[in-house]
Amino acid sequence: MKIITPLLNRHFCAIVFSALFFAGAAQAEKSTLNLFIWSEYIDPQIVSAFEKQFDCKVNIDLYEDVESMLAKIQGGGAGLYDVVVPSDNLVPVMIKQNLLAPLRHENIPNLKNLDGKFVSPAYDSKNRFTVAYQWGTVGLLARKTAGQPLPDSWACIFDPAKSAGSFMLIDSIRDQVGAALKYQGHSVNSIIPSELKAARDLCIAAKSRSVGFDGSVGVKNKILAKTAQVGIVYSGEGVRAMVDDTNTTYIIPKEGSVIWVDNLAVLAKAPHRDLAEKFLNFILDARIGAQLSAYTQFATPNQAARAFIKPLDLENHAIYPLPEVTDRLEFLNDLGFKLRLYDEVWTQIKTR
Amino acid sequence: MRRPGWFLSAIAAGFYIFLYAPIVVIIVFSFNAARFGTVWEGFTTKWYGALLHDSAALSATKNTLQLALVSTGIATLLGSLLAFGLTRIDFPGRKIFDRVLYVPVFVPDIILATSLLLFYSLVGSFIPALELGMTTMILGHVTFQISFVAIVVRARLAGLDPALEEAARDLGAGEWKTFLHVTLPLMLPGVLAGAMLAFTLSLDDFIVSFFTSGPGSTTLPILIYSSVKRGLTPDINALATLIILISVLATISLTWLQKNKQDPHPKK
Amino acid sequence: MYLGQPLTRAGRWTRAGITSGPAALWLGIFLVLPLAAILAISFLTRGEYGGVELRFTFDSYKRLAGFGELGFDSLYPVVLGRSLALGMATAVLCLAAALPLAFFIARLSERYKGAALTLVVIPFWTNLLIRTYAWQILFSPNSWLTIAAHSLGIGTAGEALYPGMLAVLTGMVCDFLPFMVLPLYASVEKMDWTLAEAAADLGADRWRVFRHALLPQIWPGLGAGFILVFLPATGQFVIPDLLGGAKTAMLGNVIQQQFASSRDWPFGSAIAAVALLLVLVGLAIFQRKGSKHEVLP
Repeated sequence: MKIITPLLNRHFCAIVFSALFFAGAAQAEKSTLNLFIWSEYIDPQIVSAFEKQFDCKVNIDLYEDVESMLAKIQGGGAGLYDVVVPSDNLVPVMIKQNLLAPLRHENIPNLKNLDGKFVSPAYDSKNRFTVAYQWGTVGLLARKTAGQPLPDSWACIFDPAKSAGSFMLIDSIRDQVGAALKYQGHSVNSIIPSELKAARDLCIAAKSRSVGFDGSVGVKNKILAKTAQVGIVYSGEGVRAMVDDTNTTYIIPKEGSVIWVDNLAVLAKAPHRDLAEKFLNFILDARIGAQLSAYTQFATPNQAARAFIKPLDLENHAIYPLPEVTDRLEFLNDLGFKLRLYDEVWTQIKTR
Repeated sequence: MRRPGWFLSAIAAGFYIFLYAPIVVIIVFSFNAARFGTVWEGFTTKWYGALLHDSAALSATKNTLQLALVSTGIATLLGSLLAFGLTRIDFPGRKIFDRVLYVPVFVPDIILATSLLLFYSLVGSFIPALELGMTTMILGHVTFQISFVAIVVRARLAGLDPALEEAARDLGAGEWKTFLHVTLPLMLPGVLAGAMLAFTLSLDDFIVSFFTSGPGSTTLPILIYSSVKRGLTPDINALATLIILISVLATISLTWLQKNKQDPHPKK
Repeated sequence: MYLGQPLTRAGRWTRAGITSGPAALWLGIFLVLPLAAILAISFLTRGEYGGVELRFTFDSYKRLAGFGELGFDSLYPVVLGRSLALGMATAVLCLAAALPLAFFIARLSERYKGAALTLVVIPFWTNLLIRTYAWQILFSPNSWLTIAAHSLGIGTAGEALYPGMLAVLTGMVCDFLPFMVLPLYASVEKMDWTLAEAAADLGADRWRVFRHALLPQIWPGLGAGFILVFLPATGQFVIPDLLGGAKTAMLGNVIQQQFASSRDWPFGSAIAAVALLLVLVGLAIFQRKGSKHEVLP
């Protein structure tokens, strides 16, 4: 008996392991959708509603910056997820790398809800691969300090003399370098090495005075936790911070900033392509679109959804900037091969 | 030998406090009512309740356990066999194998993780089973677990007296019988220790899991890391406290069990 | 010879095959091949947006040596040096902490030895991420630890003690200390104290007693612990990331970044290959010097 026990244990264990393994596999019988999206970017109730309506399970994985998403897809293959959310400047990159599946418009009738500005955009003509999800800007989130005016310029980050308190930088290549470029009066799409070097040096100097780097959500949370006073965030995080803590404000600096459009896309080898397209259609529904923007506090590209959005949100200039502000904003372009310069600059900024 | 003096005891106590400070802090803050930040704002147990409704935390726990159990099982089997082979059988290449065995122990995790990621992306396009997910994570974990198991079991085997096995052979027992009835029971404490070590390494692993995870295969360390990076802390504190309590209980009970399973002729 | 009886060559190979074969195959596929892939990829070119192109080049290594597209920059050699220094500092600090701890435990009575040792090991069994995150809390602006440090002149008032080198070192030592204590203790426990007593009787002062009577005896455990801490510490990623922010980038951080947002696999592989080479060299030196002392409990 004493000798058989170790053997029995081995067999027993093997059975237990296999049981667990297969139990896990059996759960996958229900249809699933693998969604790869920014953190705090979709209302959990929208996800539950989708799961209920289509009797499926939605697996959500999160990322904090879009280049990491691209890295994950490049590493894991175009079949790793079903739906991803690339920003406008990365859409041409993903198309060129054959990472996206063409959308079958007959499965997405709600496409008609899109605002004309977002139909057939420059980065994806005829919406062959993407539909707009949310759009917004990059700016400063600052805590009001008594007796001091609110910062209105990138100088509070890049100029030690004009600091408005401890600050955080954003962990996103184009947004952070873009801020430095804008501060120096250059375009966020500059490919001139001297301009990039200057931006790099600015960022490195700022880094040594900063509390650190974080994604937009992380920066927002740290400012709410009072670990920092100022930070670079996206407009939605800024507005949500203002709701959570009325002592904070979202500001678009006077030198200008980045305006962006995030898009829903289906990966080329998505395992659940039909369900993915149903998901896109679901999001484009007018009421769902309004619910989404109410949760994320970003601007909606969905014309039909505007009817269901609170007037207060529609008039919120942090979410929907005024035309004179929009004039100062630039879209990020795909820089093709020259993107290497930004990657090199970024590695140097993070490493020095 | 003299008892430790008060000076040595004070220094040692200081270092013990240093080791335990983080653990105590987590436990304390899991009861902090503040939603953001690190200022104490009152006592509450609501974060523990919130955990039960947190589907991400629950699925991460399930993934972590599944991963640890399966990988430990495979690694213990392979590692123990390997240890036996390396100790008892002399074959050409054994010395080199020995050296290679130590590589996963000393090489920084990040190199192992990135090498696996590269390997899976290169090969994964041809072999669908190797797409990033639970399978790739298990394969990665077993790879570093084998080394640890083999080293621990080998230590145990090296301490065994071969005379016992030879005696069994002399008495007429076949090779297989000898292995089953003599070697294996003697090896067992080492195998269990190796399995324990492998299990903990898998539970604790972050880097290899982080690089080789796929949709729906998030583990607890990955979840904790992302939450810490984002700054969402309250229910993570509660989760962390639970993990700490379970680890402490497991360690204490397993150490106690091991003590009582000691072989009948302890050294001294 | 096997169990007192000679084996045929075929017999030897079948037994070797059954026992070591599976593990050998596994390690061959999932350890050796991937590491070889890293080496191979480090000599390829980065694709336009990431990924790899099959073009042989030394560009990644040149960049690692400092000759990148934006002109010469000693950045990466500095990072390498910084990581080695961090590994060394961690090992030395761990040693300084482990020595008193090991001696303390060795001198306890039998009853308490086991408990004391288990107490050292318990933090090792709790999740590293959790402990590192706890240091974030301990180093935040309002914690008593930070306030005490401010009063001693470390750091500026109102600011957290992290991200920064001090925080990273603290986190590293806290994590690696058990790795140093255990092998060291194994040596200390087996020590022959009579040598120390004899030396003292012969008139040696405490330092000489330690240096000549005690140190040589614990050298194997010390060496094992040192290597066990120094090598992995050099490539640590999590602790420098969480406690150093991006302000003190180490080898591990740079490698991770190449496989994440920078998407430069050849460059990341080059760094990993160099780090791997250093570790293998270090390991070979240690193993050559004999004493493959048992390092794990």
